[in-house]
Amino acid sequence: MKSEKRLCVLSLLCTLCTAIAAQRADSVFNLNDVVVTATRTPKLLKDVPIQTRLITLKDIERTDATDVQDLLQQEMPGVEFSYAMNQQRHMNFCGFGGQSILFLIDGERLAGETLDDVDFTRLNMANVQRIEIVKGAASALYGSNAGGGVVNIITKDGGKPWALNLNARLARHNEQRYGGNWTVNSERVANTLNFNYNGTDNYSVKNAPNPQALVYGMVYGDKTYHVKDKVTFRPIDGMKIVGRAGYFYRTLSRTADNPERYRDFSAGLRGLWQMGSNDHLDIAYAFDQYDKSDFQEIARLDIRDYSNVQNSVRAVYNHGFSGVGTLTVGADYLHDYLFNKNLEGENCQQDAFDAFAQMDWNVSARWELVGALRYDYFSDHRNSHLTPKLTARYKILDNLTLRFGYGMGFRAPTLKERYYNFDMAGIWTVQGNPQLQSEVSHNVNIAAEWTRRKFNLTVSTYYNNMTNKIATGIPYYSPEGNGKLFLPYINLKNYSVCGAEMTMQVRFDNGFSGKLSYAITSEHLPQDKDGTTISNQYIPARTHSLIARFDWDKQFTKNYGLSIGLNGRFLSAVNNEEYVNLQDISQGTKSVCYPAYTLWKLSTVQRFGKAVRLTLALDNLFNYIPTYYYYNAPVTDGISFQAGVSVDIDNLF
Amino acid sequence: MSFKKIHFLTGCVVVTLLLTACEGLFSGLYDNDKLTEQEQEMAAAAAGRLYVDASDWEKWYYLDIQELRDSVNALKEKDSTAVYTYRWKEYDIPMERTEASDTPTGIYTYWYDVFGAGISVNERRDFYPTIEQPMPERWSIAVHRNNVRTNGASVYETGYTSIADLPGGKDAFTDCTFIEDQWSEKDVWVVQDQMLSGLIGNQGIKINPVLSQWLLVSIPPMPPQFTLNNHVFILRLNDGTYAALQLENYLNSAGKKCCLTINYKYPL
Repeated sequence: MKSEKRLCVLSLLCTLCTAIAAQRADSVFNLNDVVVTATRTPKLLKDVPIQTRLITLKDIERTDATDVQDLLQQEMPGVEFSYAMNQQRHMNFCGFGGQSILFLIDGERLAGETLDDVDFTRLNMANVQRIEIVKGAASALYGSNAGGGVVNIITKDGGKPWALNLNARLARHNEQRYGGNWTVNSERVANTLNFNYNGTDNYSVKNAPNPQALVYGMVYGDKTYHVKDKVTFRPIDGMKIVGRAGYFYRTLSRTADNPERYRDFSAGLRGLWQMGSNDHLDIAYAFDQYDKSDFQEIARLDIRDYSNVQNSVRAVYNHGFSGVGTLTVGADYLHDYLFNKNLEGENCQQDAFDAFAQMDWNVSARWELVGALRYDYFSDHRNSHLTPKLTARYKILDNLTLRFGYGMGFRAPTLKERYYNFDMAGIWTVQGNPQLQSEVSHNVNIAAEWTRRKFNLTVSTYYNNMTNKIATGIPYYSPEGNGKLFLPYINLKNYSVCGAEMTMQVRFDNGFSGKLSYAITSEHLPQDKDGTTISNQYIPARTHSLIARFDWDKQFTKNYGLSIGLNGRFLSAVNNEEYVNLQDISQGTKSVCYPAYTLWKLSTVQRFGKAVRLTLALDNLFNYIPTYYYYNAPVTDGISFQAGVSVDIDNLF
Repeated sequence: MSFKKIHFLTGCVVVTLLLTACEGLFSGLYDNDKLTEQEQEMAAAAAGRLYVDASDWEKWYYLDIQELRDSVNALKEKDSTAVYTYRWKEYDIPMERTEASDTPTGIYTYWYDVFGAGISVNERRDFYPTIEQPMPERWSIAVHRNNVRTNGASVYETGYTSIADLPGGKDAFTDCTFIEDQWSEKDVWVVQDQMLSGLIGNQGIKINPVLSQWLLVSIPPMPPQFTLNNHVFILRLNDGTYAALQLENYLNSAGKKCCLTINYKYPL
């Protein structure tokens, strides 16, 4: 606890020092972009009262990311993706697991999970306009799962009368990526059709003898297909009706004749109505179905063993009080259906309802206060929550902004965590716990942002204390004495995480830009209700992480431009207390050290005219090969050459 | 189209989706796995085909191929279109410790480098004696998950992938090298409750190393990878007769592994 307090004090001092050092702003850092996630109302990034990290379309293109995992680990320090059991992806986001970070696409939740996290391969970067990331508890606006923050992926919305982009990328291990995006846009109607394919082969990796923890020897590649269509209809000025439909398919072969299949069907209808200058209404219906099945090649059978279906309706109304602020009220209804062969009775369902209100008050030219309160109700076990949030923005100077606040976050137990009964190959039975309570977190944060000409500095720090964190607990043998081992879901006694982040950016007129972003994270080891320190369900966050990016861009002639980028990330070593013998807890725990690593990527983008872009990249530039492929080791077996091309067909003519 | 019509249609779509989609759509994409064990057998049943759920870690399942032949022939005489389903005889693997004896029969605990180099790296950690494996009076082969034993027979693996393609008669194989059962103490996995620590209890027993190749289990990777070998195997029984065996599938409709569908021909 002492080190945590020291960390918080240091971070606070650092934040205040930055504030004092501030001077007038001259922004070139997208601070005039409009963001919507922090308050569910459109606001300029520079004015938003809650620290929001914006990843722009240009950032996405620069990283050449395939999916959100690829993007976040190149853009955000403190974010790490590792393997959970069965090589499903688990995210650690500044000390929060993927279960406590709410992923949204255009404001809509995602159904399904792959060992607790959403299926990140669903979140591909094709057709994404921008990503807004709000760190810290946001449950007062977004409800369950937003205890650690919200990642809102905003898709593209019309544009030119017509546009057609085709793109492809090839890389090592037979990685192939093909995509296309076709847009038509008229005065009243716009349509965007997007398709994308990405595939990689399985490949094996070698481990040195005597690993200290679980390792993997095979990287399972997969093949993913996305088809999405979005129609926007503007019947009258100020009104927009958006219909969308999407299909996602992923296949992965751990056993050649028994590949796993993952499918998602999504659809939605949304109406947005700007009623005069002060009132705005947003009504939406969303359907999302995420299925898992195993395909038996020999018998040609496709057997579904999991399906999560979510139907939701929501309404958000904003009323602006001229010059004073904005009142936001809203409500959601969600029907959640889960079919899982490892549930008792194989399926269960629940309804969730919430209502919330937020007042965004412009106290003065420099002060803005936002208060929000939300009530959530879940029909399963009649679980309800009241969640407050209070944040403030203070513009010390025009180019120096201070943001601070308190928020509560919560995560209701999932149906799986309550009713699961999964015999894991006879080793033990993962056991749901109907008596689980919601985990609740209290978050305080403070952030300062300073911009001067070509320089931008952001410093932030946070502290989270979580009660009743939901995790798997200590394995125990059946009291019936039949030798069966159970791994139950439990509520932990307490758990805390604190950290800080500092990001420096420069952008010069000569085409050079750079960014350094450093995060420090400290997770406090969890304890069960008896105060016993238990092994983390997942490997904890690395204490130190650094992201660096340097770019140089020059347009040599009208028809030729070149961009060179070097980006890298460094993650420090991390120790974790793990059971010596999972099946005999009495043997105690041991400390396992997961080593530090750094990865770099050098990329060039050549622009030919307005239509053609050729991307060549060397990923893992310094040929880092892990000695042990622990579950949080980077998934790489050495340097990889990537070549990609993107053609805007409409710009060829 | 007027706005009213559009709004009406939109409303209809939403209401329809709300009413129909609560438990999901497109269930027709998937196949039915709700088959009983008997239905599984019937689904797999065909002339010259056998089915057995051999997934239990603690049981051997026995087949008497002469009895099978006689039963099939008897049934055909009554009804030439009927398909016979064979009842495999199941016997528990002895797990109880007994007094030490001169025989090597018992449970051998081996440590395997399951999460490292794989199961090829292993060492013996423990042994305790048990009684001999019980078995029926007459039997030809026995299966336990991916392991196969024979009753004094020997086996040759052909390159054929269909029994129908085999050259006629047993004479084509008389000069081939047939392999008899061999002693094993680290192949027949029977105790899995310490698997996370890499410790697995094995039954010490003779198995046929050739016929056991019809279903390979490899680690790494984890979870284990199952690989079906669809070659036809020739079984030379201890009475000098020959049979052809081929593993057709190792999954039941629910995807449970070690549910074996076996093609056979007897006698050759």
